[in-house]
Amino acid sequence: MLKHYIKIAFRNLFRQKRLALINILGLSIGLACFSLFSLFTVNEFSFDRFNAKASRIYRVYDWWSFSDRQGSEPSSATPLGPAMKQDLAEVEDFVRINSAGEKLIRTGNQINRIKVSFADPQLFSIFTFPLIEGNAATALESPKHIVLTRDKAIQLFGKTDVVGRTVEIRTGDQFEPFEVGAVAENIPVNSSIRFDILGNFNYVLNSDYGRASINDWNMTIGISVYVLLHEKSKLMNETARLAEFRQKYFPGETEKNNDGSPTNGFGLQPLPDVHTGVNIDKWGASDPKNSWILISIAIGVLLIACINFITLAISRSAGRSKEVGIRKVIGGHRYQLIYQFLSESLLLSVISAVIGLILGYALLPFFNELSGRSLSFSFSQYPEMIGILSGIVLLVGLISGIYPALAISGFQPSEVLKRKLRFSGSNFFTKSLVSFQFVLSIGLIISMVVIMRQLAFMRSKDLGFYKENVVMIDTQSLDIQKNYPVFKQTLKSESSLLGIAGSVIGLGNGEGQMGRGYKFENRVETVIEYPIDYDFLEVLGMQLVAGRNFNPEIASDAISSVIVNETLVRNALGTNPEEALGKEFTSGKEGNRKVIIGVTRDFNFEDLTRTVRSQMFLFPSNFKPNALFVRINPGDPSKALAVLTAAWKTISSDLPIKYSFLDQKFDDFYQKEKRWSNIVAWAGGICIFLACMGLVGLTSLAVINRSTEIGIRKVNGARISEVMAMLNRDFVKWVAIAFVIATPIAWYAMHKWLESFAYKTELSWWIFALAGLLALGIALLTVSWQSWKAATRNPVEALKYE
Amino acid sequence: MIHLNNIDKYYDSKFQRTFVLKAVNLEVKEGEFVSIMGPSGSGKSTLLNIIGLLDAPSAGEYSLYDKSVLDLKEKAKVDYHRNFMGFIFQAYHLIEEMTVYENIETPLIYKGVKSRDRQAMVADLLDRFNMVAKKDLFPQQLSGGQQQLVGIARAIIGKPKLLLADEPTGNLQSVQGEMIMETLQQLNNEGMTIIQVTHNEKFAEYGKRIIRLEDGIIRKDVASKIVFSI
Ligand SMILES: Nc1ncnc2c1ncn2[C@@H]1O[C@H](COP(=O)(O)OP(=O)(O)OP(=O)(O)O)[C@@H](O)[C@H]1O
Ligand SMILES: [Mg+2]
Repeated sequence: MLKHYIKIAFRNLFRQKRLALINILGLSIGLACFSLFSLFTVNEFSFDRFNAKASRIYRVYDWWSFSDRQGSEPSSATPLGPAMKQDLAEVEDFVRINSAGEKLIRTGNQINRIKVSFADPQLFSIFTFPLIEGNAATALESPKHIVLTRDKAIQLFGKTDVVGRTVEIRTGDQFEPFEVGAVAENIPVNSSIRFDILGNFNYVLNSDYGRASINDWNMTIGISVYVLLHEKSKLMNETARLAEFRQKYFPGETEKNNDGSPTNGFGLQPLPDVHTGVNIDKWGASDPKNSWILISIAIGVLLIACINFITLAISRSAGRSKEVGIRKVIGGHRYQLIYQFLSESLLLSVISAVIGLILGYALLPFFNELSGRSLSFSFSQYPEMIGILSGIVLLVGLISGIYPALAISGFQPSEVLKRKLRFSGSNFFTKSLVSFQFVLSIGLIISMVVIMRQLAFMRSKDLGFYKENVVMIDTQSLDIQKNYPVFKQTLKSESSLLGIAGSVIGLGNGEGQMGRGYKFENRVETVIEYPIDYDFLEVLGMQLVAGRNFNPEIASDAISSVIVNETLVRNALGTNPEEALGKEFTSGKEGNRKVIIGVTRDFNFEDLTRTVRSQMFLFPSNFKPNALFVRINPGDPSKALAVLTAAWKTISSDLPIKYSFLDQKFDDFYQKEKRWSNIVAWAGGICIFLACMGLVGLTSLAVINRSTEIGIRKVNGARISEVMAMLNRDFVKWVAIAFVIATPIAWYAMHKWLESFAYKTELSWWIFALAGLLALGIALLTVSWQSWKAATRNPVEALKYE
Repeated sequence: MIHLNNIDKYYDSKFQRTFVLKAVNLEVKEGEFVSIMGPSGSGKSTLLNIIGLLDAPSAGEYSLYDKSVLDLKEKAKVDYHRNFMGFIFQAYHLIEEMTVYENIETPLIYKGVKSRDRQAMVADLLDRFNMVAKKDLFPQQLSGGQQQLVGIARAIIGKPKLLLADEPTGNLQSVQGEMIMETLQQLNNEGMTIIQVTHNEKFAEYGKRIIRLEDGIIRKDVASKIVFSI
């Protein structure tokens, strides 16, 4: 029986090539989108689960909960790990991981920039990172051992059996030799713990700042602590014991909330939650909402394709009513007819799935670029995909087929066989489905325009300093302290350069940040710190609204003087800039005193999802710039860059210069938004395209169904324009209805989206009008293409066939 | 076999009730060959559809083998269609996506006949109607008479007791029409009960009994003049 159905289904496909093409193309595109987006989602939720002990591994985080602010922070103090293992019996082991930045790596005479992270050696017994060379016990045997990933071993040595080989890492102003202890398999894309080169954390502890951190519970050197709990441990829920443990190391924390609950504490976050745990790591984790939005978009695209199938099947039912009549008369039961129609839609869905998967596979590199992932279609890595995809194929077949199957199989043979009965095919239901398609399309167009406007707005917003024509040079791995004054002096005389100033921290995306709590007159406020050279403000064009700039002649400027921003004055001092001058504040236990000598106009060094925070500039005496900011003449930067490169050679013969443009670094803050606008733009385009394909099918069927009517009208003197208007009117009406429905929904969604930005564009009415007109225009063009053909056809031809 | 008692069929519109059939009484015995004649719109097709369980009468009684078939469930109706009666139509009504062979085979598939038995049965019929060479053609590739032969083959493949034919020759030239009528007559001789609707006096005479319908009322019910010798 099934064979019989499938045979007939194939014949039907070939007979109705155009409709089959519309259906298969639509469903394939929909399924390709869906497979990619669900791959993204499955990957998001599969993070870290490959670790054999995943269910026992927890990340330790710090939380605070005051009446006016709550938050948490997943980086920990250096002594935390060892203390937990010592004090809490069910903590079997711990590992501290420090993901430091890029370093210069020398092998032979080849120099590369590669990220170097550090971890305690037991990383390899807690996490599941298989070693392809060497073994876990000796991988990080001494502080001077490192582990390479397969890719990095091949990059550095061209092969993987490199245990015992030497790799030199630039630390300070010289290269230091390290020995390869093991080579690890490449880290799976769905791992939160990532490294290219992994050093021993004990190496960090041997450095000056590492040693200083060993017993300091009040600072972090940027490490995450993971603990491995015993099988049956419930420590993550035992708040009392965690509080007791905290009390032991923070005896000073006596402050309590009004209800007696502690204001600070430690928490344990399960490893599988780390990647998507925005509740604990607001800025670092990946928001699972994005996955759901993507899946919704994919389902929307699929729905549009399904709707094409439904509306086309219904419109074509006139042609199939006869077949239904015959089959019933010769003994076909209704349920057998339903099966038959369902197996047709299922067949279509399966064919489309095959094409869709091939399409998805081909588009994966493009999608990876769009989404910023490096996913691969691997059913062994993501076994869930098999179930999800076959489920959706089945569902698509059912959703597409069930309504037409029920409707068409319900025809009474005595009705359909008796005379030439024509079903117009388009009823209220199919037309509202068409509207629904356009609701989605219009909604996505609106969203796309809003996201792009917001992006443009953020890029062009005045941040309170020059970001255009500023080159930032990375001097981290250089002993710049020695050369800085000379370097600066040589460059000052260059006419293509307008100014040069150093800073301890670079600016823009991917740069670090320093900050700590300071005690002001009557409150504690976290202040972001930027140690800078005295001419930094001038080079970057920042304006002082009160007071003066740093002066190298004044000795106290290098000790206690600070320049703060307006927000700090307002938030921490509650006064105006003039009043703030001369005010003092201190930091924690060192009690070091700061005096405000100047106030700058507010500036945004952070991305615009945040409002300006309290920030200040310092001018320390032992100044070691990690970044140099060079302002160059507008226009072609090549001459200035040549000058910079030449000057760089004089202070560092062996290392290549690394620079970036500051405006680029700030644009990079919005990679995520850029991605979203791209994804939404593509999805919107696909939706419109599919919806229009559906329209082509519907109009061509409407034209067939009404060909006699059109012929008669024309014989009776109707003009082409009148015939076209008659055919177009219906569709245009339903697109207009879609616009009315889509507008408020899109307005609400975009309003919500914009809420996450501190600085945002307005939702202007023209965006909505534009989207509506665009959709209407495209729909009208599509429909007219068919109706024009029908309206200009010789009426005799149409009537001949009746 | 067939017993219609006081059958009415009417359609109600806003202000009036239009009768298509009125107080029709009809008894058909096993082995009969009945021709129904009458002007267009007199209710012939309606009557045939009621007999064929494709339409329900508005009033009256209808029984097959003394069993009422008025309020049958869908499933029971389908069983009658599968096992008891076959239909032939003026417009042939073959399924255009299927070959001659498949068209004839389909009722057997619905009946659940095994593939091997189906093959034998279809081959038999193709042989009988001299259509073996045409079995892989699609309906559009056949002449009208040939299409109707396929229609008949499809109607009788399930070995029905009753064959209902609504103007089976209506679209055919007289030579082809005669061929069809002879086929029907032969089937009747083999014992199949046949009821046909026709406009053609000559073809009506193939039947053993002629019923004349006018405005939904049976005006005449007579044995046909010519009795063919075998
Ligand atoms: N659904 C309906 N609503 C109203 N009247 C109907 C309906 N179906 C059929 N009729 C009427 O019933 C009458 C009988 O129709 P029927 O098809 O039985 O005639 P017929 O004798 O077969 O005619 P013909 O020789 O033209 O085939 C016609 O007048 C027709 O208009
Ligand atoms: Mg009729």
